[in-house]
Amino acid sequence: MFSSKSLLRSLRQSGQLPVHDFLAPALFAPTSRRCISTTTPKSNASAAAPSNQEGSAAAGTPKPKRKPLTKEQRDFLSSALRVNQAGELAATLIYTAQKPPLVNAHPHLRPLMSHMYEQEAGHLRTFNVLIAKHRVRPTALYPVWSVLASGLGWGTAVLGREAAMACTEAVETEIGTHYNSQIRSLLEMFEGWEAEGYEVGPEFRDLVGTLRRIRDEELEHLDHALENDAKQAKPYWLLTSVIKAGCRGAIWASEKV
Amino acid sequence: MAPTTRAFATRLASAAAATTTKSTTRSTAACLRSRSNRRSYHSHDHPPPPGAFNTAERQILSAAYRHVPDHGFTHKTLSLGARDAGYLDISTNVVPEGPFSLIKYHLVSKREALAPRSAEIFNAPVGGADGATPDAAAGTRGQLLTVPERVERLTWERLLANRDIIHRWQEALAVMAQPSRVPASLHELALLSDEIYHLAGDLAVDPSWYTKRASLSTIYASSELFMTNDCSAGFGDTRAFLRRRLDETSSLAGVVGSIGQWVGFTASAGLNVLRSKGARI
Amino acid sequence: MAARSGLRASVRGLRASGSIYCRCARPFSTTLHSRYPAPSPADRTKTTHFGFEDGVSEKEKTERVAGVFHSVAESYDRMNDLMSFGWHRIWKDHFVTSLNPGASSSNPPKPQRILDIAGGTGDIAFRMLHNAHVLNSNPDRMLLHSPDAIADNSIDLYTVAFGIRNFSNIPAALREAYRVLKPGGVFACLEFSKVGNPLLNAAYKRWSFSGIPMIGQLVAGDRDSYQYLVESIERFPTQEAFRDMIVDAGFVVGGDGYENLTGGVAAIHKGMKPLKPTS
Repeated sequence: MFSSKSLLRSLRQSGQLPVHDFLAPALFAPTSRRCISTTTPKSNASAAAPSNQEGSAAAGTPKPKRKPLTKEQRDFLSSALRVNQAGELAATLIYTAQKPPLVNAHPHLRPLMSHMYEQEAGHLRTFNVLIAKHRVRPTALYPVWSVLASGLGWGTAVLGREAAMACTEAVETEIGTHYNSQIRSLLEMFEGWEAEGYEVGPEFRDLVGTLRRIRDEELEHLDHALENDAKQAKPYWLLTSVIKAGCRGAIWASEKV
Repeated sequence: MAPTTRAFATRLASAAAATTTKSTTRSTAACLRSRSNRRSYHSHDHPPPPGAFNTAERQILSAAYRHVPDHGFTHKTLSLGARDAGYLDISTNVVPEGPFSLIKYHLVSKREALAPRSAEIFNAPVGGADGATPDAAAGTRGQLLTVPERVERLTWERLLANRDIIHRWQEALAVMAQPSRVPASLHELALLSDEIYHLAGDLAVDPSWYTKRASLSTIYASSELFMTNDCSAGFGDTRAFLRRRLDETSSLAGVVGSIGQWVGFTASAGLNVLRSKGARI
Repeated sequence: MAARSGLRASVRGLRASGSIYCRCARPFSTTLHSRYPAPSPADRTKTTHFGFEDGVSEKEKTERVAGVFHSVAESYDRMNDLMSFGWHRIWKDHFVTSLNPGASSSNPPKPQRILDIAGGTGDIAFRMLHNAHVLNSNPDRMLLHSPDAIADNSIDLYTVAFGIRNFSNIPAALREAYRVLKPGGVFACLEFSKVGNPLLNAAYKRWSFSGIPMIGQLVAGDRDSYQYLVESIERFPTQEAFRDMIVDAGFVVGGDGYENLTGGVAAIHKGMKPLKPTS
């Protein structure tokens, strides 16, 4: 664990890869991005009610004046939470399945794999709490995603370190884009409310904060994957495009059912 | 002769029309409707979305509901409600689905009444409500119960809410079982199961979310049917029936869960044995 | 029987020229006439559309619609049969049964005043009376005329079947309906509408734009009038938009405010005049 922290620290100081800026446009990437990133399991457990800077600022308003959510907004929010839970479930299972074969062959990856797994498990707990709190139905394809994700993780790990990292890269690229579009939609919702003179409550400020934090952590995993020779996987383009297409299909399906 | 035949033919035609249009077109309307108020994101910060009925509908339906014990879930009851609420006979047309809307009013209002009732039952301090000083350390009654116990208690409360109209409920079930009404009726049943599990404090969001709600829906529907024929004092037989069904399900779920655990354990043990032999998996 | 077919013929003849009214013991009351809706001076210069043609003045539209119905009056029922594959009869039956005119909680039943606008061949009116008199034993009165001769707050049920899309100014027609209805009275409209299912819609569009004008030419020798009918259906607002127009006129609607028939080929819209006007 200690070594993983020092690894991360050195990674942070070494700067970011260009792909990072491409996925997280400056508009949605606060300069303090790394500061709100939580990496220890302890703070992940309390992630259900994160109180970041934005949230505490809104809580001080004396008289709440909030607009009822439209049907479209509620549908968007429930499918967003549902697909996020499914995605984090899949990510957790991918890392669980990847770890034994991968660590067996490359023992030095053990801390990194444990670290990434812990973060994904924290995200999954966050969305489990949010889904129960907001009474959203979990995806009906839960067992299907469980089997597919475990199979994907195990399969790529058996193919080798590069393939496993290419899998991480492809999955995290899709997930990063996906979180970004959710954050963008939420911010558009906020703009609409503020233009009409309504306030944005802590519930939604916290949600955006949580999504931003999780998005940043996912993109961090993307960096790790690239540093571990994801691009060396053969055939790289086939592997990543198949996995990316699979992710998009899974996101599409989980939004619906 | 001729006029009688004609009248008969017209009536036949309109009866045929009623059934055919209902089965072909109403079902799409029902689907649209159930889609428009399906279960969705529940905000704790924002005012709730508008309810299932608007003001005029609620005025007529709530006035009509008082006539259900005497006149059943019928158009006549709706007309009486419209009259009581100060409307015209024709105003019943604002209630979109006629008698079925009256049934829905019963289902929705009794489901919505469950939340305050649950707070009353479960938030009462352990010592009893009257006289005894609330003991914060002992907690509330609800905290002493497990989730399945709270589910049983709430399901029983919901069944009891049928008490006043139970002699009319078989008619209502017949209306709800019409093909065009089935989607909306099942949707209401699903909302009830979800409400009960939510109020019981169940937080599971894995596939058991579906199995729990599906089995509770089945149990509730069969208990309700049992209740329509129950003459025992205080519907004691119905409660015994409900408890038996819930126990059966939980023991079945226990068996299924144990099998799942065993399979998982054996698989991972097998995998580890292979790994210890040097297999790169 | 003879009286009935005579009345039917007279109503058919009068569809275009206006409407009928007579005060007598008979269940129909009719009047001569003024064309609906009476345009206010300000309205006269306003423009509307005629089929797909825009910039037609309301007065001109009124005249041209009258022209269309003059030329198709004889085959009007046949045209409805073609547009709806014969289903319009079933829709009309359903429309009337769902309204259930004459049903009353009082004994003896309280008579209702029913106004049917753009009644065409009177088929809705006959169904109404059958439902009220035969099924509900209620001596309701049927009025078939334009509403500008009718007092405020005097009508129980106001119906338009397959007529409202031909009106020059639909919001004005809805306001007029609101005026004559009693508080608690119901406005009900049966009209061709928008098909929701894209596949069914494609087939239906294909049929109505290619098939109907051609059949109009073959059967009635009048392609243009049938072309207008098809275009007027296409120009008519969606279910939701028309429901919103009804709400804007001051009515309250229950549920979605409309009921689709045969996947949306036609739709029934209902609105009730509230007891107290909404602000």
